[in-house]
Amino acid sequence: MSRTDAVTRILFEAFSTAEVRLFYALAYAAIGIFGYGVYVQIRKYRRGAALHLEGSPWARLRDMIAKVLNHRTIDRRDPAAGGAHRLIFYGFLLLFLGTATITLEYDILEPLFGIRFWHGQFYLIFSLVLDVAGAGLIGGLAYMMYRRGWLKLPKLDYARPDRAPGDPDYDRPQYRREDWAFLWVLLIIGCTGYLLEAARLVWLQARPEVWDTRWWSPVGALIAEGMRAAGMSAYGGGLLRLGLWWFHGILSLSFIALIPYTKVKHIFTAAGSLMVRDPQAAQRLPRIPENQESPGVAKITDFNWKQLLNLDACTKCGRCHEACPARAVGAPLSPRDVILSLREFANATLESGTLPAAAELDVHGKAPGQVAMETLWSCRTCMACVEICPVAVEHVPIIVQMRRKLVEDGAMDPLLTKTLQTIHKTGNSFGESKRKRGAWTKNLPFKVKDARKEPAQVLWFVGDYASFDPRNQKVTQTFATLLYEAGVDFGILYDGESNAGNDVRRVGEEGLYEVLANANVAALKQATFKTIVTTDPHSYNTIRNEYPDFGGNFQIQHYTSFVKELFASGRLQVTRPLNVRATFHDPCHLGRFNKGYEAPRDLLKLLGCEVVEMGRSRANSFCCGAGGGRIWIPDPVATEKPAQNRIKEAAAIPGLQVYVVSCPKDLTMFEDALKTTGNEGKFVVRELIELIREAIPAPRTEEVQV
Amino acid sequence: MKILVAVKQVAALDEDFTIREDGRDVDAEFLIRDLNEWDDFSLEEAVKIKEAATDPVEVIAFSVGPPEVDESLRKCLAKGADRAIRVWDAAIEGSDPIAIARVLAAVTKREAPAMLFAGVQSSDQAFAATGIATAAFLGWPHAAVVSQLSYSPGAKSAIFRRELEGGLLQEAQIQCPAVLTIQLGINTPRYASLRSIKQAAAKPIETLSLTELDLAAGDVGEAGSASRVRRMYMPDKGRAELISGDVAQQAQRLAEIIREFKGAAS
Repeated sequence: MSRTDAVTRILFEAFSTAEVRLFYALAYAAIGIFGYGVYVQIRKYRRGAALHLEGSPWARLRDMIAKVLNHRTIDRRDPAAGGAHRLIFYGFLLLFLGTATITLEYDILEPLFGIRFWHGQFYLIFSLVLDVAGAGLIGGLAYMMYRRGWLKLPKLDYARPDRAPGDPDYDRPQYRREDWAFLWVLLIIGCTGYLLEAARLVWLQARPEVWDTRWWSPVGALIAEGMRAAGMSAYGGGLLRLGLWWFHGILSLSFIALIPYTKVKHIFTAAGSLMVRDPQAAQRLPRIPENQESPGVAKITDFNWKQLLNLDACTKCGRCHEACPARAVGAPLSPRDVILSLREFANATLESGTLPAAAELDVHGKAPGQVAMETLWSCRTCMACVEICPVAVEHVPIIVQMRRKLVEDGAMDPLLTKTLQTIHKTGNSFGESKRKRGAWTKNLPFKVKDARKEPAQVLWFVGDYASFDPRNQKVTQTFATLLYEAGVDFGILYDGESNAGNDVRRVGEEGLYEVLANANVAALKQATFKTIVTTDPHSYNTIRNEYPDFGGNFQIQHYTSFVKELFASGRLQVTRPLNVRATFHDPCHLGRFNKGYEAPRDLLKLLGCEVVEMGRSRANSFCCGAGGGRIWIPDPVATEKPAQNRIKEAAAIPGLQVYVVSCPKDLTMFEDALKTTGNEGKFVVRELIELIREAIPAPRTEEVQV
Repeated sequence: MKILVAVKQVAALDEDFTIREDGRDVDAEFLIRDLNEWDDFSLEEAVKIKEAATDPVEVIAFSVGPPEVDESLRKCLAKGADRAIRVWDAAIEGSDPIAIARVLAAVTKREAPAMLFAGVQSSDQAFAATGIATAAFLGWPHAAVVSQLSYSPGAKSAIFRRELEGGLLQEAQIQCPAVLTIQLGINTPRYASLRSIKQAAAKPIETLSLTELDLAAGDVGEAGSASRVRRMYMPDKGRAELISGDVAQQAQRLAEIIREFKGAAS
């Protein structure tokens, strides 16, 4: 045996054959328990509905690996947690790869082919890398403990907004116990690894190939020096090594065995969830297959396997809980708890050998694990949860699928029922006559083309609120005037246009959505135009992302990007810069849904506004509370509304003059909230269109007072 | 066991309507059709009875009207009616509630149900007569404006409450088969999702002609009616004016108006 051959780690030295056999028996048992657990989980997912994933699996795999390695999704809005997780992840990964390397040589390559590589220089570098990895792991775990134990972050509080104290499901102490057990077990595995290493060094200090290379394991060597200084002999080191060896080994094997049964499984489920992620999950909701008997989700097995996997991917990090506007105002909804409830329900029903009777699979209700209708109806489908989830849990389609069942059963607010009937009857949510849809054009000094009768470059899809709401009609008329002055060749569909259906679909009334989408696609197809422009982000989203599923492939722009082009080409010019301090509220459907963050800000700067951002902006913009059909459901009295919460945030900006919106529903919601929060007179709510008008004063046009 | 529910497709006025050339109705182009609001409640009441019953109950929605009425009948099917019947003949055009009741009674005799429900009235014509007139043709006991009902299918009688003036409630018993006209608010009508309406297209809507009901053309239409619409019109609008200013100004303006009015009258 050469000198470099000798530089390696002893594995079973001083072990009897019986002891080695015992260890292998334990290891195989652990792998067996692990394997069975994996089988049970996969059987659980397979009990969900079928789903065909689009796109190449290799691209998905690449994307997933990149996300896992760069940790960007975990860093977002919590870089400290991201950093600590990165330490744990890479520490664990390297230590695992280290162990796998040993197995590769000791159990496979050497006995079968006589190949050895784990010695000499390679071993020493290996040793150093693993020592550093261990330190990273322990450091990361220590920070996570500090975070749970001392920082007491509200997002890590498991108390539920949808259950009262005393309810068996209220704050779920078993989760806290599991969190701590997980951290402690990993920490003890890491620490005993170092102690074991140090004890081995002390024990084998007489061997130069061990002792002289000890500083390649710096942490272990340091502890070994300490042990020696404390008077530990080589014999004592040998005894300690034996004890720690079994303790560390059995604890590690138990950890592996328990992965599929505990939160540790997120190693696999989170990665799997990231791999099957749908980047359009909230923007483009799924259609109901023709042959499906009842729409939406009634039973846990109505969820597809991907959604069941989503449930298991959740790590309770609380980012969705923190971002949810419904939760923020005390509504009985936390996206986190919807996911956790359903997960508990899936585990209780789908992990057993035989599937329980259909009646026991009903996910709607108030029993533990079920989701109450009040919870589902609290959702604004604003996508804040989906957007921030680091492991690609797609809450919005899960909630909408469950709402489809509620709609089918008529389990909804009577006013919402009424509105849906109204939309069915009249094609708009205002209950106005179809004929009146284009009535706002009557007072204009020019004629707006009927795009059904003559071709136009731009087809303006106006939408319900901009067509019928009196306050928004003024904005609509202003926008028409701006287009006219810029010489844009545009037309509208008049009574050929119906409610775009974006919110109807998010309510869960898929049948009505189909009627609306089909009607609009047919009307649009009859018109001749190059591009659609809309001032309504809700219409924008559904036409852009969902109409293609109904055969409607149109080019569409939100007005902010369209007007920006008009400025760029010189067709519009700022003649009176505004010189005001403004903040911009990103509408959910323009910002988060379609990433239209820049155009409105660019426009504001172009108009001469000083733009001050609110704390929650862009991807983290805070929903006005009107999304997902909530504009048709009254909010409970004497509780804060999301729009009020938002206006208070804006009011904290020193010297704010204008709160700028670019969505008709936002204008309604925030002008109301400005009054009800007592901020009237301090600053104003304006649609961006109104500011543009003011910066380009036209003769004979009323000016907007800011 | 059957419960029959008589329903009507009513018309609501659209914006800027015009009166038909003969001056006796609104131009049909300006009418928006929908199921009568009261019928939502009477149908719901029948479906609730069916759902609570242990023995099978068949709920049949029926109506008198042209093929467009199928749309409203499909809504009834979506909300839980088992089948639907529509009666039409060109001769029925121009029928008053009595003539319509004659047709409804003929269908009821044919189906022989244990109960016939109708809405208190229709929201467009508001005669509140059709249901009770049907009872008269059938010779069945009847009760109008029922706001609460306790009836189990197959029972010989039913107990119901009616709302009277001044907040008074009347509780009464009625022998079956009977005709009840159902008031709004007796229950909470369910929502018929668009999907269920679409699926209801698979359920049958039977169409019957007058001959199949042993009725003659003279039994319906204007010939079979006891009343006839002479004209339909918008009354001239009155005017109102708030007179402001001090007493002298107010008096002056008042005098002006009186003079103006006198001038116009003379």
